Amino acid sequence: MPDEPLDPVIHAASRLRVVATLAALAPRDSLAFPRLQKLLDMTAGNLSTHVRRLEEAGYVVVHKTHEGRTPATYLELSPRGRRAFEQYQDQLAALLKGAGS
Amino acid sequence: MSTDQPDVPRDVPPRIQPQVPPYAPDAEPPLDPAEGARLIREQRERTGTQMRPDGRILYGVWGVAWLLGFGALWTTTGAAGDYPTAWAFVVYGVMIVVAMVVTIVHSVRRASGVRGPSARTGAMYGWAWFLGFLVMNLVVAGVSGSGVDADVVALVANGAVCLVVGLMYLMSALLWGDGRLYVLGVWILLVGGAASLVGMPTTYLVMALAGGGGFLAMAVVTQLGAGRRRRAVAGRQDGSTVA
Repeated sequence: MPDEPLDPVIHAASRLRVVATLAALAPRDSLAFPRLQKLLDMTAGNLSTHVRRLEEAGYVVVHKTHEGRTPATYLELSPRGRRAFEQYQDQLAALLKGAGS
Repeated sequence: MSTDQPDVPRDVPPRIQPQVPPYAPDAEPPLDPAEGARLIREQRERTGTQMRPDGRILYGVWGVAWLLGFGALWTTTGAAGDYPTAWAFVVYGVMIVVAMVVTIVHSVRRASGVRGPSARTGAMYGWAWFLGFLVMNLVVAGVSGSGVDADVVALVANGAVCLVVGLMYLMSALLWGDGRLYVLGVWILLVGGAASLVGMPTTYLVMALAGGGGFLAMAVVTQLGAGRRRRAVAGRQDGSTVA
């Protein structure tokens, strides 16, 4: 496994932070877009771009809904995204262990 | 993208020539593993501190409310066993309402924007507190209306408050897997037993010092734990930048 390349979808600072934030929620919980934006200090446009990439990879599920009359977007880390993030963390740990010894 | 850049004028000094990254336009500079691990830790810590209620605020506000509220009730009871004065009950009532408002506003704010199983659990949890206190107040109102001594009402009320709060904390401890909260729940239950047995007016002193003091001790323990966690994260970050 250490020889496998790191998942390029996750292995980029912004997307890694998006995934790490969503992974901190309980499974099947989703987070409102503005709240996620605030937790990440990202612009809406920037976050949308990264979310689209994560959605294409099947790592993030985007729920579009309405709260009263205002549209709301909720983001959820899919089971597949959660597995990919766990594997990514294992790989990082292995790499860091190798570098340390 | 190729390395030759026809758009870049030849007379521009090389260091201010636009850098063409060797990766896709939406991507960012590659991470090194230590930096990746640091980002994950930082973001997890940040999400935790911004989305979980701050125990220091919640325990602190209830500690102060019990200390001052029950303290006011105790100080206005004389040696002759007088019943607390009306203004003492006003102080107590204001303290409890303020603590309730702070708790609800803070918890709802921290959990805002979350949908799904956790939000459902949180709502059920909030309703459990509400129902517990609602029924407790009905019990006290019933006892009070039956024409018994004011002393009896006070002892029942204090015992019942501790029973509801103590058992709710035990349940919360099981729900969130928090051992310290379990200890606090056990403590509040013991306070309830003691507050009932010591009788009037010492029951109010027990509630103020042991009850309020228990919440305040928990606030201090939470603060110490937060400091330790912060230092641990900082220590690991130093380690990773050295590595």
